[in-house]
Amino acid sequence: MKARELLIAISIALMVLLLAYVIELGGLGPLAPYALRDIARAYLEYVYNPWNVTASSMALEAVTAIVWDYRGLDTYFETSVLFVAIVGVATLYRGYRELRGLGGVGLSEIVKTSTRVLIPLILVAGASIAIHGHLTPGGGFQGGSFMAVLMVLLVVVFSLDYAFEKGLTSSRLLAIRSAGLVGILLTSVALLIAGVVAGAGAYVFQNMAREGSDLSMPSWFLDRPLGGTLFLFNVFESLAVVSGLTLTFIVLALRKEEVDQALATGEWCE
Amino acid sequence: MEPVAILLATAAALLSVIATYLAIEAKDLLVATVFSAVQSTAYALMYYILMAPDIVLVYVPVSVGLLPAVTILLIKKTERYER
Repeated sequence: MKARELLIAISIALMVLLLAYVIELGGLGPLAPYALRDIARAYLEYVYNPWNVTASSMALEAVTAIVWDYRGLDTYFETSVLFVAIVGVATLYRGYRELRGLGGVGLSEIVKTSTRVLIPLILVAGASIAIHGHLTPGGGFQGGSFMAVLMVLLVVVFSLDYAFEKGLTSSRLLAIRSAGLVGILLTSVALLIAGVVAGAGAYVFQNMAREGSDLSMPSWFLDRPLGGTLFLFNVFESLAVVSGLTLTFIVLALRKEEVDQALATGEWCE
Repeated sequence: MEPVAILLATAAALLSVIATYLAIEAKDLLVATVFSAVQSTAYALMYYILMAPDIVLVYVPVSVGLLPAVTILLIKKTERYER
């Protein structure tokens, strides 16, 4: 890093600052109003509204409610896109074989010990972000990526050999990922199936009772709001995300000897 | 918003601009990755000040944890210095 580069960077930052000032003064056209818009006000009123359950999702977190209830289909396809990307990475390396005993020892004992202290902390933080996604900020993807960071840490600090030894194999990760996706699928049509069985009206991605359908997911767990499908979606999504991201990292971290297998055959080999 | 919050957000934004430029200019790709992580940290702070905790929670693990990890892996498998 030379002084010249730093100087250019600071001048660009100053330009951005001045541009922001001009925009703030309204020099580049009218600004968006500060007042809440009608759609935002409607979401705030209906997200947790026991007096009007047919328009409510009975969750305290507006963002999760919008993401998984009011706009559930969008999020479903987002999850599918992530899954297709991970399948793409796995396909690129198809035919690799996970080898044991390539001599990976990981980092030093100091790093390993401090990582052992960190593992339960990150795991609990990620799980609580995912499971409390309908009550506090966060949700399935956030909790899942927290736990995926833990898995990356595990692979980097303890070596890939150790991860395979502990059962973090790619076939198992892919199985968890698929189980999570099946869970999301089943949750989204659960009330529809119940409606067909009971002969009542129901919708896809239905959470609470809606107009024309009295079926409802549980909205309370003991004395806590549960949010019905939101809780299940968050749990399954976090499973799918943690296994998917970990699988991507492990496939990208494969050693030369393992990838050579894929290059030699070009096909799956057992 | 509080004036202190606006000042903090402004400082984080300016830091992110500087870090972005340095990340683009760096010939050593490891250094570029570190600058990119600095930029992400500034963004996470800005999101928090702008009252978007959901985005912070997804931004911190992805852009400070997973993205540098994958980038460093790719640098290790290819070349460290940009020609």
